Amino acid sequence: MAMTAVARETVFALRRQIAKIEGTLPERLAAPAAATSDADVNTDLTIVRRGIAAALPDAFLPIGVERLDAALSGGLPKAALSEIHGSETRDAGAVAGFALSLTSLILKQTPGLPVLWIGTTEIFREAGFPYARGLHAAFGIEPEQLLFSEAPRLVDALWVAEEAARMTALAAVILEIRGNPQRLDLTATRRLHARAQGAGRPVFLLRQAAEPEPTAAPVRLIVASAPAAPRDTIAGPLAGTIGRPAFTLTIGKSRTALPGQFTLEWNPDERAFDERTSDERRGEGRERAKNPVPVVSLSGRGKDPAAASGAVLAFPAIGSSAAISPTARDQPSRPQRAAHLGPRRAG
Amino acid sequence: MISHRDRNAQRISALDERAEALHLKRDMGIADARAMHPSIDVVEADPEADRRLLEGLADWCDRYTPLVALDGADGLFLDVTGCTHLFGGERAMLDDILSRFFHQGFDVRAGLAATPGAAWAAARFAGDRIVPCGEEEALLAPLPLAALRIEPATRASLESVGLRTAGAVMAAPRAPLARRFGALLLLRLDQALGRLDEAVSPRLPVAPLSVERHLAEPVTLTEDIERLVGMLAVTLKTDLERRGEGARTLALLLFRVDGAVSRIAIGTSRPMREPRLIQRLFHERLAALEQDIDAGYGFDLVRLSVLTSAAFDMQQADLAGEVIDDGADIALFADRIRARLGESAVLQPVVVESHLPERAVVTIPFTETPRRTTPPKKPDRLQAPKTIFPPERPIRLFRSPEPIDVPATEMPEGPPLNFRWRRALYRVTRAEGPERIAAEWWREVPSDEAASTRDYFRIEDADGRRYWLYRQGLYGGASQVPPRWFLHGVFA
Repeated sequence: MAMTAVARETVFALRRQIAKIEGTLPERLAAPAAATSDADVNTDLTIVRRGIAAALPDAFLPIGVERLDAALSGGLPKAALSEIHGSETRDAGAVAGFALSLTSLILKQTPGLPVLWIGTTEIFREAGFPYARGLHAAFGIEPEQLLFSEAPRLVDALWVAEEAARMTALAAVILEIRGNPQRLDLTATRRLHARAQGAGRPVFLLRQAAEPEPTAAPVRLIVASAPAAPRDTIAGPLAGTIGRPAFTLTIGKSRTALPGQFTLEWNPDERAFDERTSDERRGEGRERAKNPVPVVSLSGRGKDPAAASGAVLAFPAIGSSAAISPTARDQPSRPQRAAHLGPRRAG
Repeated sequence: MISHRDRNAQRISALDERAEALHLKRDMGIADARAMHPSIDVVEADPEADRRLLEGLADWCDRYTPLVALDGADGLFLDVTGCTHLFGGERAMLDDILSRFFHQGFDVRAGLAATPGAAWAAARFAGDRIVPCGEEEALLAPLPLAALRIEPATRASLESVGLRTAGAVMAAPRAPLARRFGALLLLRLDQALGRLDEAVSPRLPVAPLSVERHLAEPVTLTEDIERLVGMLAVTLKTDLERRGEGARTLALLLFRVDGAVSRIAIGTSRPMREPRLIQRLFHERLAALEQDIDAGYGFDLVRLSVLTSAAFDMQQADLAGEVIDDGADIALFADRIRARLGESAVLQPVVVESHLPERAVVTIPFTETPRRTTPPKKPDRLQAPKTIFPPERPIRLFRSPEPIDVPATEMPEGPPLNFRWRRALYRVTRAEGPERIAAEWWREVPSDEAASTRDYFRIEDADGRRYWLYRQGLYGGASQVPPRWFLHGVFA
């Protein structure tokens, strides 16, 4: 009995070593919670189960959506190359948006570090150049944190990416490529992946208008845009408005090989993902109550919205029960305005 | 023989010794020359190429002194003050210059004197002569007036009054000379005699620091050059340390044996003095220029100069002797990328106060100064956001707005029902807007096109893609031009 235990221990140690030599990211299978608790989990011990090593929880970036994290066995590998695909160039906004939301999640853990976005001249011309003001508003990435590199040729872009992937001073590297070029093959992606593993920083390979092909990236996500939910107001969702960005995410490849399709909604204020299930879309108001996220999004710059200007006087509110029009969002609310205009009208 | 066109006639502008032996002269008509000797070989003059050649020679002369100036179309000034001892004295240096030029196939005459004027006269009229300081007058006295670098018209009128040598002019009273022939004559005379200073303005700015290495055996391999750069940078480091500075721009000069000079410059985003890093930057630059640099028979002189420098801040290391500075890593990374791919290969956005979306962010080449390496501070309560709900901005913006076809809008001022972009039709399901953005009248000349206001709409199509469209101009406005629609950006 003791012999078999020792033998098993040796086998596990050897497997661990092999995994380390091969450089494969050890990951966890979607283990049931019960199984995890009875196998005494030691944080600095790599648990080996069914031939696949389980990694430290720190090796993954949890996306914050339970179903998706489970399907990806804990989240997106942090020190790795991850492919994010868009089927057409016109999806570039959604693909870039999803990659930037992941970057934003990473920046929550490593605040202040810059992000490098590498692209070929072709993709920046076809899909538009990243706009720092929009990135700041939607993903909380400061303009000072952004670095762009535009390379006329793919070879140069790949070279810049390889140089950047080994740097620990960058929070994340985004490499954007269009189509299926010959040069971006298994070898090139393996080089990127190896460097990302060495540096412990993620490299996001955005592939616009590309067909999935074999690469060294452990994860491939296929992103398309999804219709956004209407904007939430105190009076409930406002029909006809375009709310937070939403994505349809399909797992094209992952170590666990679990299929899945998800509709995610990015919350720019909380900088977090929400999953939108199909029944939630139909009956929007009911599900919201259970949602831990506040109904009204906190204002982007802090917890307290700016106080209304002027004293609030006890004037009868004119049409106060009327629905707030779409334009009212950008203006002070009615009672405040009445108070502001009040003295002039009264005097 | 070389000809040039002067007042509608081909004339001889330069000729070689054999042609001179045939009693041909400069400024003689080609037709006359051909009549005398039908077999002469005439080539059209190319002043541009001559100029380039002279500049190439000036580059090559950089090996003797950094102060090289062009003199007219056929001369070079070398200010060798303080340089002669490096080559074993004045005579040895002059011989070295002459013999090297001779082996390159040039017929060169040189003179060395304490003033540029005297050296000019010595080179052109006295033949390879070194004029000791104070003997300029003795040198000039027997020479013709042309040795004084004066206008031909002045020379002719001086000759007409019988002053045929420089000595005669020197002996004449100054005041009448100045009155009759202008101040330039006396200025030139004084400059040649050293009574007035004459500055030689160098072709290229003189580097504050440079180190060089003469090689007995020329090198051809890029790796060898890189290693040499490393060695030179080590020497440079001590000089930079003494000055408390770091290099911002560096130039590497490679002197090829046959006279060609390659100049390779790199810039750094923060002052740098570490030899290893300098070597790495030149490694990238040399790799990028692999095709452009022709080593030929090899380089026999390698010089590394600091063109601009800036104060170098020492980094405080911790007790383990390690300096943790992510900024340095990024600066070096950016420098390497730029050394290989050009100045604009690494860009950073800078937010500008402007409400025009395309002007609100400018991208500039990466610079070190305003970067923030510490985590951004939480926004202060006092500096409240300008608007409570900032207007939504797209995450990607097209460099130039792309025109789209809008067949119909529901209301004249409203969003489109569908639109055609890049030959595909998009159906609009939801729209937000308009957000009106007017032109910046305080900047532009109000032309009809640029000054018209834009109404921006956020649009979502049937597949859930979100776009940023705008209509330029108004329906039924004062100008009869119908408004045009553009797609300016995409949202996440």
